[in-house]
Amino acid sequence: MSVMILLVICSILVAGGFLVAFLFATKGGQYDDLGTPPVRMLFEDDVAKSNDNQ
Amino acid sequence: MCDYYAVDAGPGVSQRGTRRDPSVYEMLDISAVAAEFTDYSSGTRTRVRLTLPGMHCASCVWLLEQLQQFDRGILSSRVDLIRRTIEVEYDNSMTSLKAVAILLSSLGYEPLLNREGTERQRDADQREATRRIYLRLGVAGFAAGNIMMISVARYLANGNNIDLSLERLFATLSIALSVPVYFYSAAPWLRSALISVRRGVVSLDVPVALGISTLFIRSIIDLVSGRSEGFLDSFAGLVFFLLIGKLFQQKAFEAVSFDRTVRSFFPLSVRRERRGREDVVPIDAIHTGDVMIVRNGEVIPADSVLMSDAGYVDYAFVTGESVPVECTSGSMIFAGGKVVGTALRLTATRPVSQSYLASLWERTSSRTPRTSYGKLSDRFGLWFTIGTLMTAIVGAGLWLPDVTLAMNVFTSVLIIACPCALTLATPITLGTAMGVLGRYGIYVKNVGVLLELKRVNTIVFDKTGTLATPLPDAVYTGRPLDALEQKAVRAIASNSAHPVSQSIASTTAPFESIECISERIGKGILGRYAGYEVAIGSWQYMNEVCSKVEVEETCDTFVSIDGTVVGAYKMRSCIHPDVASMISSLREEKITTKLVTGDTDRDAEMLSSIFPSSDMTFRAIPSEKVGSVDRLRNAGATVLMVGDGLNDISAMAAADVSIAVTNGTSTLAPASDVVMPADRLRDLPCLLGYSNDLGRVISASLWFTMAYNIAGLALALSGLLTPVLTAIMMPVSSLLVIGISVFGARILSQRFA
Repeated sequence: MSVMILLVICSILVAGGFLVAFLFATKGGQYDDLGTPPVRMLFEDDVAKSNDNQ
Repeated sequence: MCDYYAVDAGPGVSQRGTRRDPSVYEMLDISAVAAEFTDYSSGTRTRVRLTLPGMHCASCVWLLEQLQQFDRGILSSRVDLIRRTIEVEYDNSMTSLKAVAILLSSLGYEPLLNREGTERQRDADQREATRRIYLRLGVAGFAAGNIMMISVARYLANGNNIDLSLERLFATLSIALSVPVYFYSAAPWLRSALISVRRGVVSLDVPVALGISTLFIRSIIDLVSGRSEGFLDSFAGLVFFLLIGKLFQQKAFEAVSFDRTVRSFFPLSVRRERRGREDVVPIDAIHTGDVMIVRNGEVIPADSVLMSDAGYVDYAFVTGESVPVECTSGSMIFAGGKVVGTALRLTATRPVSQSYLASLWERTSSRTPRTSYGKLSDRFGLWFTIGTLMTAIVGAGLWLPDVTLAMNVFTSVLIIACPCALTLATPITLGTAMGVLGRYGIYVKNVGVLLELKRVNTIVFDKTGTLATPLPDAVYTGRPLDALEQKAVRAIASNSAHPVSQSIASTTAPFESIECISERIGKGILGRYAGYEVAIGSWQYMNEVCSKVEVEETCDTFVSIDGTVVGAYKMRSCIHPDVASMISSLREEKITTKLVTGDTDRDAEMLSSIFPSSDMTFRAIPSEKVGSVDRLRNAGATVLMVGDGLNDISAMAAADVSIAVTNGTSTLAPASDVVMPADRLRDLPCLLGYSNDLGRVISASLWFTMAYNIAGLALALSGLLTPVLTAIMMPVSSLLVIGISVFGARILSQRFA
């Protein structure tokens, strides 16, 4: 059963890593503006083409 | 740059007539003024943040983030489409804030240069608040997920012994995971409960905090003593859902920022004339006796006396009166007026902070607050807490002398009665509704307003601007004009800043081939267009420019072509279309409608088709408006005041709910509970109906949770509430409440479409 203990601890550590990443991203302001980035990603070098495809 | 039109269909705004005199940006060279916009500045680089109300689409973002292609001194620019701000970083040695502002304005994005454009503290506070909710949500979500995973294993074991060391690990892990949830994620409720208890009030946060704490402490005791699996999974899940409710509320708040002060309407600087020199100074530098120059379109910052011969001042924002006022030398000019036409020289009679406008505002803010949603929730919180505690004590008493079981029942009642669904239902329903209404241009100050709206049974309208269209219509009478003559008249009229000329000319673009324009301010204008000599002006003016005037003297504006008077324009304000039908549908809902206006009764005849004469009051000064609102309220009515000018502001504050009507998005609106565009006014009955429906959605969720909790209470009182049962019941009820609230508010909003 000791392998279970190892697994549980590992899984929580991995999840904890993601939590820390999320906390850093939030503190760094990644979630401050949820409106502009979805618009900005449309502007690749070739804007005209990406729009024509629609 | 040619990709601009490829980014989004139909981008851009018309540039016609929007170009401003670049000298208004001169004030940005004063370091005190520039500092208001600067985020960060080192020797060589400066980063500024400007508010651009004009940005609205993907193409705007694209164009504004290419600024470095227009000016090599600009290092980078970054746009926030939601807050409508742009952050520009530039090289001090190559360009300046003034140059950036002029560039933005030439692209059609005029930066806001008044105080409203610099309220970054409020922005920063809001951003910080949202961030904190995300952080708390992250911690709670992480803990909830992992504790649940561990708990499931133990629920499934269901009596069969799990390995003892594994059991101990699970207990330690759940406790370790839940501690940050209690002390960090749940902190807002715990703190607010503590504060309200210390103040001697019992808000709804008190039973919530009580429930959370009981859940947490009992679980830890159970786990440490090894009596049961504890409720930590339910606990973390509950905090997670509560935070989602808070996020909804915060998002809705952010979408509408309402806390304006009188200063935010004023410009940051003004031109001062001293010893024959003109310079731009911050408005606080204006003292009594200083001479100011205020140009077309600028706002007058201090009460003053007019030095120029004559001019026009638009008091639309102060009084709501749509026609600019003609002022002559020596007349008193009040702060908050906007100069129309020629620039005015003014001598300040009072410093900025003591103006009539500021005093109107202060009178408003000193008024006592009304019975609010907050108070309502406090009263309910008290009642709820007492009820829960009584049930818990009685329930525990029934099981005495078995102390363990009694304690078990006592805590179970506190847990199951935790009004989490209650705290979720209201903010989520109303937060969703605020978002939906925002899409139709109707902005609501806070969630309490929507609940207040459904109690309204009397509506007081202020006429100007609210019911009437912004510019009065000029109606022509006289000899019919042919197309070319009409064109000539409009062309000449478009060259005068006089409001009557402006409404004659309003429908056409500027003309070019006009010769010999001469204007006597306030009297009339004379010019040649396409071979016609056209004069527009008063009866006296006609006598000066025409050889023979055969018409009678009236106050109308006369038109002459080639020396003969051909007709006259009468000014008439126009009632918004749909107003009559709106009023009659309000009557069907048994809502009393009244009209209280500061205007003269010149439109009484036109309005009498809508309002009975007993319900109309003309020539009301601001204090009389307050008086009539107070009278209605004392008679037991719940009053909604619909107004638009700052002169309505005290009446709006006196009413139970207030709506400010704006014409166009850039128009300033006085502080109020709701802001809606004039063309949406016809939806007023819809809005009232919607708020009624929202009340129903909320009570539906409340009845649902009530029934749910009573079933839970029965379990709790009989001592049967087990961790696994709680783990199922709690999230199911929270999810159902969120579902009912969101879908209810969305589906019912279809009436606006």
